Amino acid sequence: MDSLPIEVRNLEKSYRRKLGLSSFKAVDSLSFELHTGEILGFLGPNGAGKTTTIKCILGLLRPSKGYVRLWGDVPGSGKVRRRIGYVPENPDYEDIFTPLELLDMFASMRRLETGRKEHLELLERVNLSGWESVRLRNFSKGMRQRVSLALALQSRPDLLVMDEPTGGLDPVAMKEFRDVILEENRRGASIFLSSHLLSEVEAVCHRAIILSKGRKVAEGTMEDLLRTEDRFVITYRPPGGDASSEPLEKEVPEAVLQETIDELRREGCFIERVNPLYRSLEEVFLSATESAGGGK
Amino acid sequence: MKPVMTFALMTMRSLVRRRTIWGISIVILLALIGIGQVPGYGTTNQGRFIIDFGLFGLEVGAFLLAVGLASNIYPRDRERRTIMPIIAVPLSRGEYLMGRFLGAAIVQAAAILVGCIGLMIVLIMKNHAVPPDLFPASLLLVVEGWFLLAVVFFFSFWTSPPLNAPLTLFLFIVSQMSVLDFVKLVPGVPGLMRVIRLLLPHMDVFHIKDPITHGMDIPGLYFLLAVLYGLSYMAFMLSVALAVFRKRDLK
Repeated sequence: MDSLPIEVRNLEKSYRRKLGLSSFKAVDSLSFELHTGEILGFLGPNGAGKTTTIKCILGLLRPSKGYVRLWGDVPGSGKVRRRIGYVPENPDYEDIFTPLELLDMFASMRRLETGRKEHLELLERVNLSGWESVRLRNFSKGMRQRVSLALALQSRPDLLVMDEPTGGLDPVAMKEFRDVILEENRRGASIFLSSHLLSEVEAVCHRAIILSKGRKVAEGTMEDLLRTEDRFVITYRPPGGDASSEPLEKEVPEAVLQETIDELRREGCFIERVNPLYRSLEEVFLSATESAGGGK
Repeated sequence: MKPVMTFALMTMRSLVRRRTIWGISIVILLALIGIGQVPGYGTTNQGRFIIDFGLFGLEVGAFLLAVGLASNIYPRDRERRTIMPIIAVPLSRGEYLMGRFLGAAIVQAAAILVGCIGLMIVLIMKNHAVPPDLFPASLLLVVEGWFLLAVVFFFSFWTSPPLNAPLTLFLFIVSQMSVLDFVKLVPGVPGLMRVIRLLLPHMDVFHIKDPITHGMDIPGLYFLLAVLYGLSYMAFMLSVALAVFRKRDLK
C-alpha cells in the first residue's frame, strides 16, 4: 500500500533577520498529513507560513526542525519529483518561450514521451488554444497561471501542490481552475491547495488546515470546521400553516434543544428537521486567526 | 543526461537572446578590427603584434564572457522565481547547475572560437601566415573560460553579482602570478603563501601567446595535459559550487 502523499511532523522553519543577530519562526511545530485521493486546503493570512511550508514540502527549503516526507521519501528526491505537479504563486517562466516550447522542454526534462498532440490537448484543457505559439512575454498574469497549470498537469501527477493558483484570475477562469482541480482529483490525484480564497477552499476541499503565525490553529473536514459546536437550527411549520408556505426556522443552543422541540410540539408545530448550525468558512477563518493573534 | 542537455539548450537560447553576449562579442570584434590596424615595424612584426594582441583580447574576452554570461544567471532565476518550478519538479539541483553551466559554456566557447576565426581572417587579410597552433591556443582559452565560468557560478551561489565580478577578477589575476610574485604579496609568511599559490590554479598554462608569437612549436602533449588540468579544476570548482548550492535555501 502507498504511504501518505504528504506527511509533515513538527515542522519548524526559522529565518535569520537582517545582520543575522536574531531569527524568527516562519513555521512552528506544524504537523499534518495529506491522504491519498484527498483535497487538502491550506489557509492562512499573509505571512502565516503557507509558502514556507510548501517550499519545505518541495525540498526548496530545509526544515530547521522536524521533517517532511512524501510517500515516505525525502522531498526533492528524483522518485518523488516525478510524481509531483507544482503550480507556484505568480509563476514567472522564461518569457522568451512559447507555451508549446515550454511544454516540449519540460516533457524532455521529465523524460516524458508526450508529444505535440498531447501538448496541444493540454493547452486546450487550460483554455490556451490558439496561444500555443505566442511568447509568454505577451501573456497576462492569468494566462501565465494557465501555462503553469498545463506544466503541472503534463505528467499526470499523483500529487498536485498548488500555491495560490487562482491569484490574478477572473471569476470565469477561477471556476475553470476549480473544475480542473476536481477532475484531477477524480482521476486519483491528491491535491494540496494553499489559498486565501475561502470560497475556493470551501468549494473543492475535503479537509482544511488554518495557519496563523506559523502555527496550526484549526484542522478538520470541511463539515467539522463549518459546524458550530453547540447550536442547532430547528425547521418547523406552525399549527394551521399553509403547506405551500415557507417553513420557519429557530436557532437554539444545544442545551435547550430538546426543551424547545418539546415546546414547539406542544404548541402544535410540525418539526420538519433539526440541523447543526453551519458557519461560513470566512467566520471560521476569522475566528481561528483572531484567537491566534492575526497574521504577521 | 537528456534533462541536462534540454536545460542547457534552454539556457543557450535564453543567453543568446540577451544583450550581454552581443555586447561582449561586438567589443571583441571591434578589438580585432583595431588590432588589424596596428602599424608594424616591418611585415613580420606586424604579424606578431596581431597574434599577440589578438590572443590577449581573447583571454580578456574569455574572462568578460564568463562574468557577463554567468554572474547573473542564478540571481536572476531566484529574483524572478523561475528556479522554483524547475528545481521543485523536473530537475535536481545538480542537473540545474549542469544545465545552466553547459548552456553558458557552449555559448562562451562559440564566442571565443568565432573570435579566433576573426583573428585568422585579420591575419590572412594582412597577408600574414596563420600559425598552426593558433586554433589549439584558442581551445586552451576556451578551457580557461570554462574554469572561470565554474568560478563565477561558485561565487554566484553566495555573493551578489556586483561582488562576483571583482572576486573572479581577483582569482583571474592571482592565478596568473608566479610563486615569487605571490609570496611578495604577504612577505611575512612565505611558507603559507607558497602553499596557497600551489593550491590555486595556474592559469598561465593556458596562455601560450608568447611561444606562438615567436613561432615556437608547442608539443601536442602540452595541449592535452593543459586541457586535462583545466577540466580537472573546472570539475572541482563545479563540485564545490554544487555543495554550496545544495545547502542553499530557495526562499
